[in-house]
Amino acid sequence: MSMITGAPGRAIGTPLDRIDGPQKVTGEAPYAYEHHVESPLYLYPLQSDIARGRITHIDASAAEALPGVVIVITHENAPRLADTSDKEYAVLQSEEVAFRGQFIGAVVAETFETARHAAHLVEISYDEEPHDAVLRADRDDLYVPEQVNAGFPTDTEEGDFEVAYASAAVKLDETYTTPMEHNNPMEPHTTVAVWREGDLTLYESTQGAHPVRRTVAQVFGLDQKRVNVVAPYVGGGFGSKGLPHANTILAALAAQMIEGRPIKFALTRQQMFSCVGYRTPTIQRIRLGADEEGHLTAISHDAIVQTAKIKEFAEQAAVATRMMYATESRRTTHRVAALDVAVPSWMRAPGEAPGMFALESAMDEMAIACGLDPIEFRIRNEPEIDAETGLPYSSRNLVACLREGARRFGWESRDSTPRARREGRWLVGSGVASSTYPVFRLPGSRARVRYEGEGRYAVEIGAADIGTGTWTTLTQIAADALGVGVGEIGLRIGDTTLPQASVEGGSTGITMWGSTIFEAARVFRERHGQNPSEGDEVEAGTPENPETENYAMHAFGAYFAEARVDADTAEVRIPRMTGVFAVGRIINAKTARSQFIGGMTMGLSMALHEESVVDPRFGHVVNHDFAEYHIPTNADVGEIEVSWIEEEDPHVNPMGSKGIGEIGIVGSSAAVANAVYHATGVRVRDLPITPDKLLPL
Amino acid sequence: MRLSCTVNGEKREVENVWEGESLLYVLRERMGLYGSKNACEQGECGSCSVYLDGTLVCSCLVLAGQAEGCEILTVEGLAEDERLHPVQEAFVEAGAVQCGFCTPGFVVATHDLLQRNITPSEAEIREALAGNLCRCTGYEKILDAVRLAAERMAAS
Amino acid sequence: MEFLQPATWREALEAKSAHHEAVPIFGGTDVMVEMNFDRRRPGYVLDLTRVPEIQVWERENGKFRVGAGVTYTRIITDLKNELPALAMASRTVGSPQIRNRGTVGGNLGTSSPAGDALPPLYASDAEVELASVEGIRRVPVGEFVTGPKRNVLRREELIWGFIIPEAEGPQQYAKIGTRNAMVIAVCSFGLALHPARRKVGTCIGSAAPTPVRAKEAEEFIEGVLAEGDLWETRGAISEAALRRFGEMVEMSARPISDVRGTAEYRRRAVGVLARRTLSWAWAEYRDGR
Repeated sequence: MSMITGAPGRAIGTPLDRIDGPQKVTGEAPYAYEHHVESPLYLYPLQSDIARGRITHIDASAAEALPGVVIVITHENAPRLADTSDKEYAVLQSEEVAFRGQFIGAVVAETFETARHAAHLVEISYDEEPHDAVLRADRDDLYVPEQVNAGFPTDTEEGDFEVAYASAAVKLDETYTTPMEHNNPMEPHTTVAVWREGDLTLYESTQGAHPVRRTVAQVFGLDQKRVNVVAPYVGGGFGSKGLPHANTILAALAAQMIEGRPIKFALTRQQMFSCVGYRTPTIQRIRLGADEEGHLTAISHDAIVQTAKIKEFAEQAAVATRMMYATESRRTTHRVAALDVAVPSWMRAPGEAPGMFALESAMDEMAIACGLDPIEFRIRNEPEIDAETGLPYSSRNLVACLREGARRFGWESRDSTPRARREGRWLVGSGVASSTYPVFRLPGSRARVRYEGEGRYAVEIGAADIGTGTWTTLTQIAADALGVGVGEIGLRIGDTTLPQASVEGGSTGITMWGSTIFEAARVFRERHGQNPSEGDEVEAGTPENPETENYAMHAFGAYFAEARVDADTAEVRIPRMTGVFAVGRIINAKTARSQFIGGMTMGLSMALHEESVVDPRFGHVVNHDFAEYHIPTNADVGEIEVSWIEEEDPHVNPMGSKGIGEIGIVGSSAAVANAVYHATGVRVRDLPITPDKLLPL
Repeated sequence: MRLSCTVNGEKREVENVWEGESLLYVLRERMGLYGSKNACEQGECGSCSVYLDGTLVCSCLVLAGQAEGCEILTVEGLAEDERLHPVQEAFVEAGAVQCGFCTPGFVVATHDLLQRNITPSEAEIREALAGNLCRCTGYEKILDAVRLAAERMAAS
Repeated sequence: MEFLQPATWREALEAKSAHHEAVPIFGGTDVMVEMNFDRRRPGYVLDLTRVPEIQVWERENGKFRVGAGVTYTRIITDLKNELPALAMASRTVGSPQIRNRGTVGGNLGTSSPAGDALPPLYASDAEVELASVEGIRRVPVGEFVTGPKRNVLRREELIWGFIIPEAEGPQQYAKIGTRNAMVIAVCSFGLALHPARRKVGTCIGSAAPTPVRAKEAEEFIEGVLAEGDLWETRGAISEAALRRFGEMVEMSARPISDVRGTAEYRRRAVGVLARRTLSWAWAEYRDGR
């Protein structure tokens, strides 16, 4: 590994190789399942075969008689949990079944194979009730949630939309839909739980060790100090490991019943489709009104999403529309259907990812209706301030991204007529879309800095690295914060024995943990100066950022895509995409670039591939494996060129950086959809864009 | 049943192997070789790629008994004397690693490609890695890593 | 579960004779998935990877006998000129890892309508060889597969291999999937020109309960070729005839809608593939290849 140590104070901005790289390429980095534990037992879950009803009888005798089976756990013998207010975590607490695939028990055995086999021998009878697992716009039971995810207001209104829309010279009124999607990180969700002398240790695949500890301690009524969560390496999450799910509780329950023996529980890929969150399907009606010059006068975005009856998760699909473009009048609403389904949750850019597909598709349609180039149309509607808060932006360089992207992509030579270019059997087109993501803040992180002698500093924070590069970027930040080289920093993350850290979610990791490390370093130098003694130590919390009162803070980007569509079969290929980002300062060009490309690829995947198909008769996802739930292979991803503009933003945080984990997916699907439209003249408003939706061409 | 095979050059013998389990399970659970990952169990993702008697396979699709007497090479066996294999080095340097869960499979598949063909074309690289899924990187840096490794291995 | 690992074909047949319920396994690309997902827990598994006799192919009187244990990778490397459509189809199977282990024998055993190797076998009138301790019988591939994942293999039999005539003219295979690699066919089409017999063989994959030959389309295009004396003159097939051929293939399809595609799309797409593969193959024929 080549390590760029660089001059002290200049680590941020260097493309440092991943610190965790060598362990990962040799297969030595221990993920949750792979920590060494003595004489483990294996857990295999029982899942409900019905979508709604009650368990009337359980016959576990055959399973219990199988040699090697230690225990069959069901609601009949499971310990009562201390806090069952969150029904997702109220595992095995009653005979009620609220969705298909819900955990209704578990077999714990000496081997995985025995546990799995025994699970099939458990006979369960149900009193089945009719269920309802399909989201439709014409339901009469849609309700208004108190707020939507991330604490945003449910509805907003600016000016008089109805009046402005009625009198607009150019109008658009279309509905866009996105399907249920599953996060599918490569590493299945895993817990290894050990309950020993009242202490619970969880080797966990999570985006936040401390949040897992908090939840588990609360559910089990334990002092947080008795729960330790270990997660140094995590095989992806994309939101699905952001909040703990029922699998973690189930493993801990089993560990509680069999004290002293470690319980290993890794979900299978198929089980991941039933209980660890997903992106809700959305139905989004967008209405746009503009004057003759293409200035928006009216914007309305009405989003319908689903949640589970047992727990509300209301995805904030219309939130980006509140700030994206200037208009005289604006209305946004969210309505929710509570169904007999598993609990939806975070999936990379919840809200923005489906919402911006709708808005940016509509913007493309509206530009055409106004007779304007889609870039020009967006620039014409660039706002001066953040309409939602009335604050100026700390930095907003969307226009620069659009212009730079147009230059790099070669937008200038584009003939705006759809279906104007044909190369052999391929219809060729290009599309553009904007992107945005808020600079969120999460409270509660702390960091410790300790001088270990010989110029070396230990920097400790319970942060997570789910593949984003935290091991590396926090090392760079710590080096600059302390004014030493990266080689002098010994970073420790991913463990609740370290100072607490907020979840790796909302693209907040670097903002929150980095700011906290900066603060700890500042206090350290204040107390111990430039020549500390060995053992000198400081712990500090996240400082407030008073600038959040003065500025609206968001990241922006622009994407361009080329689409080639087979004129006969309507197969879609995306040979190239260009993304330009305005996201403040880039901490590490190498890890950042890969994050952007990966995000855009997930947007491409959202556009063309991903859809969890629910069978309404049974309420389960039919295509629940990697053979049928398609994510792109390398052959599906053409050239993706990523760059960023130099953006100085002194207001966001001490690093001047904005989060980059999620922005890549936002709007990427719309760029693809707009390119497909330009290639074919067919507008698909219902993702994914499968060939049957494009025919006849 | 008992299973004997050679793994990364070392004779291994494990007892009480259930007849229905996969080579992947044996490697991970019985031998503690966790480098090969379990992510789909159906040969769709390539995370469990290993060599079986010199042939690249998904170890989740090899029945344990089929490996009896065979030579198995896993990602743990590629580095020599603490020195990363050029393929591994290239993956780190090119920034081809993110969460790392697909990485061992990609490293082994790339190793296989470059053993057979030290100057692969773009199409040959993509074809060789078609069965390895990555959810983080969008593949661009992985393809860069393969090119970098090929260049270096061809030069040396 | 008992693991049986015969070292010879004779031992394999004896094992199957003794344990009818034994599930044969070679590359594991189907059987292992079922076992990993616990959909299947056979009493006996019969590993055929140690049986050398089924891992060879040989040429006999213009025909190839390909053992059930010859992998896709070997078909691609060894037989790409002799059995071009089968080699093309093999190239579209999964990934290198899958092709290194998977076999046409396994594809036959599974008898999925989406099995990539099947359309080329149908289009070239291949026969499947089924063996038991009693002996070997040959069944035309179209009679071997009887329904989705159903075939005429008897409980005491194993698939020994298949017999397929060496290509005597251009052949093609094309497939549509929802992504560019690791594709289960939404639909596929195999086509073989048999200039000596003045015949055209076809087969539709993944658009009916079994692979199906488009008999009417074959007869139609054979008529067109004969009428225009095109086999001799190597003249062009008219656009109208190509289109009609595609339409007739569409009519032979009996597709269903599933998560991979709608019935309507499949029907249309096999017509496109039929037209394309015929025009590609005919262009080769005209070039004298």
